[in-house]
Amino acid sequence: MENDERKVVMLRLVGLQPGASEEKLARALQRIYKGKTEEELRRALMGLPLVLARKAPEEQAQKVKRFLESHGAIVKISIPGAPGTREIKVPSPGTSAEAEPGPDQPRQPYTGEERRAKPRVSEGMKLHPMGIGEILDRSFRLLRNHFWLLFLIILIPQAIYFLVSEGLELGFSGGTAMSSPMAMGIGFGFTAFFAAIIFLVIQFWAQGALIDAVSETYLGHSASVMGSFGAMRKRLGRLIGTLLLMGVLIAVIVGVVIAVGAILAMVSGILTVILGLVGVVLGFHLFLNWLMVDKVVVLEGTAWMSALRRSKELMTARTEAGFWKGTKMKAGLILLLGAVIGFGFQLLFQVPGMVLGLLTQGSTVVFTILQLLNIAATSLATVYTAVAMILYYYDIRVRKEGFDLRMMAEKL
Amino acid sequence: MEASREILTIQTPESVRFQYVLAGVGSRAAAFLLDTAIRYLSILVIFILVSLFSSLLPVLDPTGILDKTSKTWIIALAVLAYGMVDLGYFLFFEALWNGQTPGKRKQGLRVIRSDGQPIGWLESAIRNILRAVDVLLGFYPIGLIVIFFSRNNQRIGDYAAGTVVVVEGKSKVFQGASRPRDTKTLIHPEIENYLTLVQPSHYRVLKSFLQRRGEMDERSRHELARTLALQLVEKWKMPSRLKSSYEVFLEEVVSLYEERRRAI
Repeated sequence: MENDERKVVMLRLVGLQPGASEEKLARALQRIYKGKTEEELRRALMGLPLVLARKAPEEQAQKVKRFLESHGAIVKISIPGAPGTREIKVPSPGTSAEAEPGPDQPRQPYTGEERRAKPRVSEGMKLHPMGIGEILDRSFRLLRNHFWLLFLIILIPQAIYFLVSEGLELGFSGGTAMSSPMAMGIGFGFTAFFAAIIFLVIQFWAQGALIDAVSETYLGHSASVMGSFGAMRKRLGRLIGTLLLMGVLIAVIVGVVIAVGAILAMVSGILTVILGLVGVVLGFHLFLNWLMVDKVVVLEGTAWMSALRRSKELMTARTEAGFWKGTKMKAGLILLLGAVIGFGFQLLFQVPGMVLGLLTQGSTVVFTILQLLNIAATSLATVYTAVAMILYYYDIRVRKEGFDLRMMAEKL
Repeated sequence: MEASREILTIQTPESVRFQYVLAGVGSRAAAFLLDTAIRYLSILVIFILVSLFSSLLPVLDPTGILDKTSKTWIIALAVLAYGMVDLGYFLFFEALWNGQTPGKRKQGLRVIRSDGQPIGWLESAIRNILRAVDVLLGFYPIGLIVIFFSRNNQRIGDYAAGTVVVVEGKSKVFQGASRPRDTKTLIHPEIENYLTLVQPSHYRVLKSFLQRRGEMDERSRHELARTLALQLVEKWKMPSRLKSSYEVFLEEVVSLYEERRRAI
């Protein structure tokens, strides 16, 4: 009896997968809600999220979830009782389903995962297509207005790395008298390996948290350091996996080209040079194609190959005419300008450090201060370009998919 | 909430208010990079011309009278030309082009005085001489930090000269796909009965869609047109079905709304 109660779950349709067609999904829903017309279901889809069933057997819910997800829906299964959703009642055999909300069901503000699945723009927030200059201007303004939030998110992994590496150095320099050099070397190697893995995880976590924080603040919501790191907990595995997959794919594809070039070196030197160039261009091309993959994983909830495909779809969108206004060209220019401005930020911290280092040579305190200034400089330079790329992701969606118009249309 | 633009409001002695959109670091950096590219290209051209001239000098002056003195003069002139391009580029362009350089013009930026007046030689000279302070190793670290804390995005040179950099008021909206329809030959003449129900906010969304649909991919364009059209049909409780595509219906709504607005 208890087991049966545990199996009852709530089934919610919280969003559409990127590029999914409302039309197709409405047709799929019609196969479940036979009494409803396609038009009625399409209208219901305009007001996501929807409760498909408040209390459904888990097995059946899983089946429906799989079916709808294969038609482009994002479906969540949870414990019954979550507020803030409209309901399509589970139809009894032969009766029609009810798509409209009851009068006692006021819409609640969307939070967390639901908002990321289908983002909402805050009232009064104006989005519009932007040029490169405006994207960079807004990135700077966003960084200025939410400086501590964004800076701290990026600083945390850097600071952890600094503390861990300093701790390791102290630990191993203190243990020289007790261990043999070989044992110490092996120990250091293992510790460094695990420290690197931990650093990588924290780095990716911070990357995801930054995307979440920038997206929330850009769309007019509030965000916090803890909240953004917390929001990333569930998606961290998929983010790391997808980014590693991307790295492996780029390395393998470029590696194959370079290997072929190395073999051909025995035949012709020119061919090797040509293949080397092809490898570089191909690597850059793949990097630009998959530039949006982290944003796609965090903001759209997809992962692995579908995230890579989606990123490519965004990066190959033909929105504006002209060579300089191509999506990849704009991304390259934003990265270039971001790097120039980021280098300016870096100088701001590094020049005083260098002067201090020249004035007081060999001091450990000064060396530590120099390292801390370097960390701050790198974090600041990184965060600026990262913010610009997140805003560029939204700009592509605004142009390609009318993201802003869709949001505005929902409020009408 | 994050505002989409930073606005500078200037009030004249006659109590007339002007609003300008302030330029940020990004657009200014883009303009600066373009100007830098032009400057270096000009310097390269000067260098090539001087090299050519000095190599051709023995041919042009076979007697060799000018040889010794002229080489010194050529080097001096080349240094002067370099100085003119490097330092004078911003100064002259901003003073002569009413606060613009080629890079700023491309980015749609203009330098104006803080009271809204155009800048002159003095302001241009002050802000560009002080550029040397803002630029450190060519990457503006001082300028960045000053702009970061400045309310009107001013660097040291701007503060000293009493200037601001603003965005020129030009529409960047894609205009290609918004064609007005002839309101005398409408497919849905009944729209006229419902026009009073169209809110200005609704009109703005419809107009933006029609202006920008050329940039959208086919699927999103169709989905959005359908959503917007069905919203209207549902809101108006239109009894008849649409006799055309969703986009044609939306074009008719916008055309009729604009015609009515013009009549009022």
